[in-house]
Amino acid sequence: MSRDRVGALLLLVFFAAYGYLSTKITLLPFQLNQAFHARTAPQFLTFAGVVLALFLLIRPSDDRPIDTSGMVFTRVALLCALMIFYGFTVRSLGFIASTSMFLIGGFWVMGERRPLVLLGASIPIAFGFWFLMVEVLDVFVAPWPAFLR
Amino acid sequence: MLEGILSGVSVAAQPINLLMVMVGCFAGTFIGMLPGLGPISAIALMIPITYGFDPATGLILMAGVYYGAIFGGSTSSILINAPGVAGTVATSFDGYPLAKQGHAGKALAIAAYSSFSGGTIAAVFLLIAAPALAQVSLSFQSTDYFALMVLGLTAVAAFAGKGNLVKALLMTILGLMLSTVGTDQAQGVPRFTMGRLDLIDGISFLLLAMATFALSEALSAVLKPKSKEDQARELEAQKNLGSMKLSREEVREMAPVVGRSSILGFFIGVLPGAGATIASFLAYGVEQRLAGPTKGKLFGKGSIRGLSAPETANNAACSGSFVPLLTLGIPGSGTTAIMLGALLSYGIQPGPRLFIDNPEVFWSVIISMYIGNVVLLILNLPLIPYIARVLALPTAVLVPYILFFSLIGVYFVSFNTFDIHLMVLFAIGALALRLMDFPMAPMLLGFILGGMMEENLRRALIISNDSWAFLWERPLTASILAIAILILFVPILAPQLGKLKRKADENAAEGG
Repeated sequence: MSRDRVGALLLLVFFAAYGYLSTKITLLPFQLNQAFHARTAPQFLTFAGVVLALFLLIRPSDDRPIDTSGMVFTRVALLCALMIFYGFTVRSLGFIASTSMFLIGGFWVMGERRPLVLLGASIPIAFGFWFLMVEVLDVFVAPWPAFLR
Repeated sequence: MLEGILSGVSVAAQPINLLMVMVGCFAGTFIGMLPGLGPISAIALMIPITYGFDPATGLILMAGVYYGAIFGGSTSSILINAPGVAGTVATSFDGYPLAKQGHAGKALAIAAYSSFSGGTIAAVFLLIAAPALAQVSLSFQSTDYFALMVLGLTAVAAFAGKGNLVKALLMTILGLMLSTVGTDQAQGVPRFTMGRLDLIDGISFLLLAMATFALSEALSAVLKPKSKEDQARELEAQKNLGSMKLSREEVREMAPVVGRSSILGFFIGVLPGAGATIASFLAYGVEQRLAGPTKGKLFGKGSIRGLSAPETANNAACSGSFVPLLTLGIPGSGTTAIMLGALLSYGIQPGPRLFIDNPEVFWSVIISMYIGNVVLLILNLPLIPYIARVLALPTAVLVPYILFFSLIGVYFVSFNTFDIHLMVLFAIGALALRLMDFPMAPMLLGFILGGMMEENLRRALIISNDSWAFLWERPLTASILAIAILILFVPILAPQLGKLKRKADENAAEGG
């Protein structure tokens, strides 16, 4: 399938879901009779989006398929997983530990194996950034896990 | 006006603000030089840092970053033929051949002088045009603003769609849809929140900008790594810059080009949606035609005119794009859209009232643009051989840092870990759409203008007693909407007209 068609299909699914959810927006009885209410813009956008997505699906301007040769999907997936993990740990483990782990993991995923770079480019940055936030910009960020505080 | 300029100078000349322009220019050059990262990402990365600042100081920093990022983009275009943004693609046409001939230093100097001249001339135009337009726009009503926003969105979709209008329009609609998430401002009804309190205030613009630009651009670089030969070639280019001196003949050749391209660039930049890309290509095309057959042949092979024209025009267009932002509150490009978001987060509503309510912000931003140009020329140019070493930083180290700064930039504003997860989701979506050549700028513009459009349309309907007739009854609104429709048809009609012209030419040739 061409890249235009794949994109159009993805967007069509999104627009359809958006359109369905727009019918669930709660309106008070008197609001239903107004010319413009909370559902008006979403429903107009759904209509316009579906029409355009169908147009692109039927008449794609670019017939080339998506060229995935030479692309490194595993690395991207691992980095995304690492970011999600960072989201879960930044509070529970504290800023310094979670940031150091995230940076070390990121360098590792990107192919860096030298211990000096792995540790030297992560832990001091985590400490430095935490110091900047807390001492210079006066924004409190918990540095350590809850049980160590 | 003189009073305003003087107040702008006094604010911009404060030591902290001068420092911010310098820091902004350096940081912008540094980030703009990194392949894939453009001015939008550079400004987005700066926003969390500026939250604690005075609005004028924050905006001055961002203006510096904007200019720096464009200059940085030109540097990577010239040295390694990797334009970070579309606005510097035309720069690489003649800049890279000059670098390959061993004149990289000269090419960088031409780019810097042209950018400086273009920025300077355009800043003078901005001083005159912005207050005049602000005065006129005081008479604008909600209906006109709604029409102007429609014009801005269609123009960006028409010009930024990389030749595919439908894709750009789809992305605009996607941005408008994302802007409806959260509590409806007029009726207080939650929309598309899926019952989550995290979404009750809507999606933060910074989150969306960081996810769809900084994060997805960094992930895109990981997805498509460079070959070893490319890396070796880039390293070689950074080492051999050559002399940065220009001869008198070269300066004489550049001067008229700079004058013409500055005027052209500024006026193209003022038009919503047109921006630096069109300005640079147009200036390149105009100069190629004006150069005559002998010098015109040098275009694409290392012509000084061919390098100077797009560089001047893209900087002039950047200044021009601030006119609709500062006077109407309507951004004409992805970059000014992100600046609008920053202004709103400071509690400042750009538009005609900005000129009256916050004159210090209005004037200091304009003055700081000029200072930014001077900083780029005096400080950044001599340091280019050193700054260019950033290109040698290994991707293995750079990418995790970009990811970290993007995530933490958003997290430190809300302190909500849900935002980190939402960012990853948006980044994956943006990466997939990028793979299919869907442009991101119209989406961001749609997202930023969405709320304002809905509000203005609702207000216009209330004023006109729920009648949609205001769309065609008020002459100003109807004229702006007519222009929007015309712009929408340009990408559709232009190829057809070209075909007809070619056919007519062929017929004439056969007949002759």
